[in-house]
Amino acid sequence: MPPALISPSENDYILRGVDSNIRADGRGRLDYRQIILETGLITQASGSARCRLGEGTDVLVGIKVELGAVELDGADEDVAAIKAKRGRVVCNVECSPIASQQFAGRGADDFNNELTQMLDRVLNGPQGGLNLEKLCIIPGQQCWIVYIDAIVLDYAGNILDTIFMATRAALYNTKIPKTIIQDRGDGEIEFDISDDEEEWERIEGWDKVPVAITLNKIGSRHIVDATPLEELTTEAKLLVTVNKDGKVCGLQKSGGGSINPSLLNDMVQTGRSLGQSLIQSLDEMLQREENDINLKRARKERIEKLGFFAAI
Amino acid sequence: MSSRLELIGPQGLRTDGRRFNELRNMNCKPSVLSQADGSAYIEQGNTKCLAAVYGPREARTKAQVLHNRANINVEISLAPFSMEERKKRSKSDKRILEIASAVKQTFEPIIMTELYARSQIDIYLQILQFDGGTVQICINAATLAIIDAGIPMKDYVCACSAGCIDDEPVLDLNHLEESNTPELTVALLPKNDKITLLQMESRLHIDKFQQVMEMAAKGCKEIHTVLDKAVRENIKDLLKKSSI
Repeated sequence: MPPALISPSENDYILRGVDSNIRADGRGRLDYRQIILETGLITQASGSARCRLGEGTDVLVGIKVELGAVELDGADEDVAAIKAKRGRVVCNVECSPIASQQFAGRGADDFNNELTQMLDRVLNGPQGGLNLEKLCIIPGQQCWIVYIDAIVLDYAGNILDTIFMATRAALYNTKIPKTIIQDRGDGEIEFDISDDEEEWERIEGWDKVPVAITLNKIGSRHIVDATPLEELTTEAKLLVTVNKDGKVCGLQKSGGGSINPSLLNDMVQTGRSLGQSLIQSLDEMLQREENDINLKRARKERIEKLGFFAAI
Repeated sequence: MSSRLELIGPQGLRTDGRRFNELRNMNCKPSVLSQADGSAYIEQGNTKCLAAVYGPREARTKAQVLHNRANINVEISLAPFSMEERKKRSKSDKRILEIASAVKQTFEPIIMTELYARSQIDIYLQILQFDGGTVQICINAATLAIIDAGIPMKDYVCACSAGCIDDEPVLDLNHLEESNTPELTVALLPKNDKITLLQMESRLHIDKFQQVMEMAAKGCKEIHTVLDKAVRENIKDLLKKSSI
């Protein structure tokens, strides 16, 4: 299916709206749509979260933690030595055809790959925040492999930001069973995995995982959280990944147009401050949800998950 | 039966606490997605599925054009985290393609395709969590999504599975039960009790067949009431919204 088209008059309407700081849905340039965040929907997964933006974009992330062998091959010995002491994170993003006609058949393959690489690069690098060494059980042999699978269920623009928000929440929700390591003395190391459901650990460093802010340049201004029509008007995109300390963890420019150096600086600064406040509100949301669940559990009330019924 | 697994407890209850003739807890809601012409979310126990319907619209390729009716296209995807073990499945996985073709064949005679000659109807199904009964949940979800899209159908199509544990017919098997007992999946048109799909992939004594079949048909009828209620409530909701 060919990409959607936009008429010149619609294009102009959006351009003028952005210029006078009021967009088609009434938002200002730097306003996000309402964010709905919910964790623990998929019981088969070690952790899961769903993030919905407004009435549109919907991403479900499921995380499975499985035992595996550490990666032993590296370019040189130093790299190999570091890798032998680490667990791994494997990312995969899929755009389901239920989200949009564009994703049917093989239509989404390139896009999926692009999104997967983007997520993978952020989470596996030193800026990812996760303590990968903690995921290693026996150096050089066994480690936990964290499989992160994101599915885009509904599409109304700004997929990448949503994926990052959902991933962060799912990592928070992930439970890794406790392991007990026993040294047999003769160099043999054995370990047991606790089968007690109450004995689990959170992935260390989940709170240091950055979020992504996509800034869309329209005319001489920039906006965040674009709708599909606004994405079509966008001349150039800038992706800024920011962690909770307000440090920029990555930048990527895409799209056909170009950005002035002075505007670029401006956009990075906007992304940075927005990202930091976004992380703060996301953390509050997660905390509130957990408190709610704990309270209900203490009172032995039924814990109801909103699921898809929250949508409308 | 070769398996020594205790599928039925001493009180005559199954592993998940249900009686022989009890369906799993079922939740459903039409109109959940923003882009699709029709959509539905459905939960049967721990099996969860989303369906989206696009069309009828112009066929994407010329080869798919049928001159006297609409072409129906079904695509099923399974989330990598939906099963006990993480597994990424390609879209050309044989088992998934087989289920997709079963769904397609079930709906071809029910949807009034002759009204939309030379066009195409797409049904996309996404399984989010799996605990047995893939075929039945796919059919039920698709029915709800097609109704939501406003595509004319002759009747609802409701599907349900039944099996036989220790000579006792049981309704709506979960994954543990379906991997240890013979399973029969039936899709039925509730208005005139006509069967549009029948699948069984293991051994079942012919004397038992009648009972299991009746059990499954009864399940289909129950599912029909749930689906019908969801459709009516959704329409009432729509009316309320549009009257304001």
